[in-house]
Amino acid sequence: MGSALGATPIAILAFLQSEFATGEQKKVGFIDWEWIRDNFREDIVPAFFQSIYLCAVSLAIAIVISVPLGILAARYRALYPPLTIITGFFYTIPSFSMFTILLFIVGFEVGRTPAIVALVLYSLLVLIRNVVTGLDSVPPETKDAARGMGLTDRQILFRVELPLALPVIVAGMRIAIVTLIGISVIGAYIGAGGLGDLIFDGITRDFPTLYVTGAVLSTLLAIGADLLFVGAERIMSPWARRSRGAT
Amino acid sequence: MIEFKNVSKTYAGSDRAVVNDLSFTVADGDICVLVGPSGCGKTTSMRMVNRLIEPTNGEILIDGEKNTSMSGTQLRRKIGYAIQQIGLFPHRTIAHNVATVPNLVGWDSDRTARRVDELLDLVGLPPDQYRDRYPAELSGGQQQRVGVARALAADPPIMLMDEPFGAVDPITRDRLQNEFLHIQEDIKKTIVFVTHDIDEAIKMGDKIAILREGGVLAQYDTPENILANPDSDFVSSFVGTDRVLKRLSLVLVRDMDLDPANGSDNLPRISDGLTLKDALSEIIGAGADRGLVVPDGNGGSPSGTLSIDAIKTLSHDAEVTSG
Repeated sequence: MGSALGATPIAILAFLQSEFATGEQKKVGFIDWEWIRDNFREDIVPAFFQSIYLCAVSLAIAIVISVPLGILAARYRALYPPLTIITGFFYTIPSFSMFTILLFIVGFEVGRTPAIVALVLYSLLVLIRNVVTGLDSVPPETKDAARGMGLTDRQILFRVELPLALPVIVAGMRIAIVTLIGISVIGAYIGAGGLGDLIFDGITRDFPTLYVTGAVLSTLLAIGADLLFVGAERIMSPWARRSRGAT
Repeated sequence: MIEFKNVSKTYAGSDRAVVNDLSFTVADGDICVLVGPSGCGKTTSMRMVNRLIEPTNGEILIDGEKNTSMSGTQLRRKIGYAIQQIGLFPHRTIAHNVATVPNLVGWDSDRTARRVDELLDLVGLPPDQYRDRYPAELSGGQQQRVGVARALAADPPIMLMDEPFGAVDPITRDRLQNEFLHIQEDIKKTIVFVTHDIDEAIKMGDKIAILREGGVLAQYDTPENILANPDSDFVSSFVGTDRVLKRLSLVLVRDMDLDPANGSDNLPRISDGLTLKDALSEIIGAGADRGLVVPDGNGGSPSGTLSIDAIKTLSHDAEVTSG
């Protein structure tokens, strides 16, 4: 790849920023490091943070919805099948269709809001399911002992059940955040911004530097988020690690 | 004192009682063992004391007061609770587990920490070594000790124990039983103790309530009297055909009147800390008809001899007590 064609990097840059360039002649190599350096602050960093914002806000909203619903479903079992069916339905809608449906059927403006709504809907299934599974995994004798010693229902929930369910709940969050980061890239299609913009622009303009940057950063973001949750889980449940070591 | 007054429990949608018109009284400082085959309602009966289960009819009085005179959670904080599956909190350290009830009732942290160490010592787990471990790092026997310590934490006058030594091997169980009886000599709790094992009932109980299917009380008496005079065929078959030997296991050699020890050099030596059952086994095993009784521990001069005949006489005597 990449005949320089005598163009100086600055000329290429100007060419790119004028945003109508296409074709072979602007390539100075598969990755144009100069472009990255020059646009780092202006384009790449903001896109990166937009993606983080988009995913963090969506996950936070999804958690706020899922944890209480999961607790209710674990208590009142009849709620669980309908919840799984509805959230499972959201989960199966292909992401392009989801964004389109939100725009044209629900009537959202192009932008962040429909993207966040879509991302929240996608997270619900896995989050709720893991809250219920986590609560189910709490040994019945532990709950019985707690009740027998005079803990109230609320104390049993917050001091026994949720802490013990935490590793499973966090496992759900890990799956959710990685899924969200993947789908959020597509959100750029409806104006959600973020790293998806770099990828879509790069493809449209046949400028590999752009889409490779977007792809690499969104991958790093997914890996980083996953590691963050693993770390958080380890800090919050030291007992789980020690008991694994003991057996 | 715990009084069961005509207590019955029938679950909704069932016409068969789980517990049927149960009345008995547990005296202060006694261990009352509820024993019977599965489905006899022994665990249900125990769980009605601290209102984990509410009776359909009748009432339970604790020191003369109905156990419904306060909320269930308030009541349960005043009653120790230990169960077979232990139910330690896996996410909390041993110290934190033991401190559960003190924390619930708002002890300050110094008092709680002192109490935790005291209890871990009491159940034979050096606090420095065990305080900060997690339950999964302990053996089954150690976890059961923690379970007992946790039940004792806020020094409740009453304890409910549902097969508290059930989940360990027989040797460890025997040791835990002995240790607990030793502790009970000092703490004198009023205890309702559930087991399906008649041997454990005989060993642990000051009184035994034998329940039969459908939650009917078959007999309520001391172990000695139940073994000597079973009320019904059900009780005698539940107690087992070896009930004579079981009675012997309630009496220690040192509580017997011994024959003088002259010219008995070739006799098997029997520690006076053994039960008559074990002594009998030693004598028969040595092919003798009597044994030389020596003090428990090392050395000491013989205090007399014990003959098979003396044991035989005693086992015919319905009035035998463990002295």
